[in-house]
Amino acid sequence: MLSESDARVLKAISDGLYDPRIIAEKLNMKVEAVRASADALAESGLVRVNKSVKEAFSLTAEGQRYGKEGLPERRLLQEIASGKPVSELKDPSSKIGLGWLRKKGWAVIQAGMIKPIGSAAKGKDEEVLESLLAGPKSGASLDSSGLEALKSRGLVSSSKTKEWRYEITPEGRRVASEAGDAKAQSLTVIASGMIKNGDWDGSNLRYDGRLYYARPYDVTLAADRIYPGKKHPYQRLIDRMRGIMLEMGFSEIKGQVVQSSFWNFDALFQPQDHPAREMQDTFYLDSKAEIPDYSRVKEVHEHGGGIGSTGWGGCWSPEVASQEVLRTHTTGVTIKYLAEHPMPPVKVFGIDRVYRREAIDATHTPEFEQLEGVIMDEGVSFRHLLGFLKEFYLKMGFEEVRFRPGYFPYTEPSVEPEVFIDGLGWVELGGAGVFRKEVTAPFGIEQRVLAWGLGVSRVAMLKLGLKDLRLLYQSDIQWLRETPLSIES
Amino acid sequence: MPVVRLYYEDMERLIGASRDTIMSRMAMMGADIGKSAESDHVDVEFFPDRPDLYSPEGVARAMQGFLGLKTGLVDYPVQKGSVVCQVEESVKSVRPIIGCAVVRGLEFSSEAIESLMGLQEDLHWGLGRNRRKVAIGVHDISRVSPPFRYLGADPERKFVPLDFTEELSMREILQEHPKGKDYGHILDGCERYPLIVDANDDVLSFPPIINGDLTRVTDDTHDLFIDVTGTDPMVFKALNIVVTSLAERGGKIESVLVKRSEGDFISPNLEPTRWIVSADEANQLIGFDLTAEELADCLKMMRFGARAEGSMVEVHVPAYRADIMHSWDIFEDAAKGFGYDRLVAELPKTVTIGSAHPVELRREEVREIMIGLGYLETMPFTLTNEKVHFEWMRRMPVPPGTTRVLHPISELHTILRTSLLSSLLEIFAINQHHPLPQRIFAAGDVVVDKKTRMHLAAASIHSSASFSEIRSVADAVMREMGLGDEMKIVPSQDGAFLPGRGADLMKDDRRVGLFGELHPLVLRSFGLEQPVVALEIEWGELL
Repeated sequence: MLSESDARVLKAISDGLYDPRIIAEKLNMKVEAVRASADALAESGLVRVNKSVKEAFSLTAEGQRYGKEGLPERRLLQEIASGKPVSELKDPSSKIGLGWLRKKGWAVIQAGMIKPIGSAAKGKDEEVLESLLAGPKSGASLDSSGLEALKSRGLVSSSKTKEWRYEITPEGRRVASEAGDAKAQSLTVIASGMIKNGDWDGSNLRYDGRLYYARPYDVTLAADRIYPGKKHPYQRLIDRMRGIMLEMGFSEIKGQVVQSSFWNFDALFQPQDHPAREMQDTFYLDSKAEIPDYSRVKEVHEHGGGIGSTGWGGCWSPEVASQEVLRTHTTGVTIKYLAEHPMPPVKVFGIDRVYRREAIDATHTPEFEQLEGVIMDEGVSFRHLLGFLKEFYLKMGFEEVRFRPGYFPYTEPSVEPEVFIDGLGWVELGGAGVFRKEVTAPFGIEQRVLAWGLGVSRVAMLKLGLKDLRLLYQSDIQWLRETPLSIES
Repeated sequence: MPVVRLYYEDMERLIGASRDTIMSRMAMMGADIGKSAESDHVDVEFFPDRPDLYSPEGVARAMQGFLGLKTGLVDYPVQKGSVVCQVEESVKSVRPIIGCAVVRGLEFSSEAIESLMGLQEDLHWGLGRNRRKVAIGVHDISRVSPPFRYLGADPERKFVPLDFTEELSMREILQEHPKGKDYGHILDGCERYPLIVDANDDVLSFPPIINGDLTRVTDDTHDLFIDVTGTDPMVFKALNIVVTSLAERGGKIESVLVKRSEGDFISPNLEPTRWIVSADEANQLIGFDLTAEELADCLKMMRFGARAEGSMVEVHVPAYRADIMHSWDIFEDAAKGFGYDRLVAELPKTVTIGSAHPVELRREEVREIMIGLGYLETMPFTLTNEKVHFEWMRRMPVPPGTTRVLHPISELHTILRTSLLSSLLEIFAINQHHPLPQRIFAAGDVVVDKKTRMHLAAASIHSSASFSEIRSVADAVMREMGLGDEMKIVPSQDGAFLPGRGADLMKDDRRVGLFGELHPLVLRSFGLEQPVVALEIEWGELL
């Protein structure tokens, strides 16, 4: 409902007044009060407020003087009449005048004599000077070349002022006319009684013996920005991958963060002196784990385990195998699962955090997520692995996939899938292969195991357009708030 | 992985094919080709299992086969030489294994020298475990007089090492020579140091540290003596890789008689290793359908000797290949020879019903509750440090059961988190310039007593954050998770909370959660300037 003063201001604007000063004068209000009312009315969509900044020009003290006396060159021209020797000019203002006389081409100096030439018509600068003598004016009403000339001579200065111009909206006009009737009260909040017992007709309400009008709002106005609680964009991507794996019939497995070297390395036929096992790449713990019966693993490392392999030779140490590490990949979890479930078919996957002893920067973090999956079944081959990979990447939205030879210590053959990304070309995305017999045989796994792994954070960088991996873990809250759920990922 | 610099002109000459032909197929042989290629060369990474590709000559040999220009086994003739190398008992406890060879008639272009030095370094890394297992020395044989002796020398023995002008004792070399400083640790605890000397007792090499300056290889060198020493039979693979690579440059290999008390042998031995493999097994593994002849052809492209015999293939593995441990290694090469790009991808037929892990299903519920309450999910690091995790949280001393890493890479990451709350405060700390209120949660893993447990932590920061706000949230979480009836709320003694404004959630006398108003001293440690209320609840354990 409009306050009395708002209603008066609305009426005045509706009557065609647009300048707050004039409205204030007319309604006998303060200008500030008029402006506050108009702002409130604008918020309700009843008036429009056009704010503009106006530049006004006025004469400087020197300009005022010239305005009254005429420009020095005009006065000098009158003084020299038909000609005068330069030496007779004494007054300092004559010097200024002389310069301008020559510049404007009103006079020449010949043999020490100043002689007028031409008609010396009244210049634009003189017109502007004259016009400003009456009071400050906006640039629009003045000749710009004349104005510039006076400004450059320091005769005119400018000041900026804000101006308000009000305009009635159609809705405002209607409200103003109704306010004139002083019958319907404007309504913002609708009371419960009005809903239950009011007599509504469109926006008009008769309630408790009074007339109300639920005035419409300017629905185009912006409101405060709010954000829903949300899943992390990275988690959404992870869940999408989980969804694909589940759709394709894989069961999810999980394992401990702290693993023995046995499961993390030895069970995967990584020799005990392999560089990846060194302190500089792996987070070791100052503790030992109990390891299972290792005789067959030891045998396969040292002599090949009777499966047609040469083994690594040397001496395999259970001491080394029992050292605990933060898992460097999830493959240790996978082989442990397969050791416990050696009968086909097995299709399992996991997405979990893994740890590498790497210094942190934009593209390296000491922990990151890895997706890993295996298919173990009778009759599966390397070509089936390629088939799975192609399907998986397709479901992830990568339509072009190609396969290059790769190398991983526990798979043979090994492959590096690459996907084509516009602007980047072929990007390596993960690694895969068939588990070596040296890996599977010691655990009684008789069928071939197709295995692959994928750095999930790498996919996140591609899908979320990240330049810095750290943002995933040390998140900028505004980024979390602003990243829409519906992002193509 | 080792990076090999390949000059296009050199490669065209060595392979006998155009640059475009070479480069278009190289990746399919197994290589990561650098993206920022220069106009005259390209840097290519080869895999650690293929040290025979660590030189342009080795790459050329393989590419010739892969492109079908020259296939099958390369025959490297070894002339019987007159050089003898005597292995003395004194070196056997230090660095027992040595292989050596002479290669004559070399013309060293700058590419050839660069390639030899690069190969040596890459082999030290790839096969040699940084010279511990294998170290290679290359010498101008014209400067010394055979026979040579490989012995364990007194560390006070003096000679002029490479790049020096004065004599140093071997002990001094370990302290003063750059290579001595880098690799001296390999000889820690040894009473005698390995040394190779000639008939005049002049020093060729102090393996695995440095050569003598006397036998330095220069542009004028034509005949080389190569020594490879170490602790593992991999020494002989390294020797084979070096000498065959030099033979590809036109060198003539000459054998050396190595004399040892346990039996003499002729070095190098470039005889291929013989394998009999089954075409059926290859077909089953790869999924292609090749006859034994076709399989043999694929292998010849990978420079194996191969001959079909019925359904079997007799394979001769070149002496420079260090990676063939099992028939599947041979089959992988067959698949490469066939062409990975020619293998038709096919979906496996295995039918299974997938199921999500119960922990992840539970985590999804936890998330749904917090998101419904308007909280934003975060996924902080699980690595943290004692200072942030315990000291700033006023939870000292560090409890037993905290997982400490042995060799942290930074002070920031020394332990695995045992709770989540401090991670949320760290996230608040880096987000103070964003509008409040901020409400965040994490449903992540913690590790206590080496066991992975699942926690939920949630925190809210704004000027009027209050105990009643977080109490409402804690109640809602417990109610939705169906824990309400099992939990007892008791006043908390946790130092992280303002005394009297923290509560513990007890289940069967074990604390499984807490909530309350964080102590201003905690907030100050994290650099936070507005009140924070928070909760943390354990909701699962990975068995």
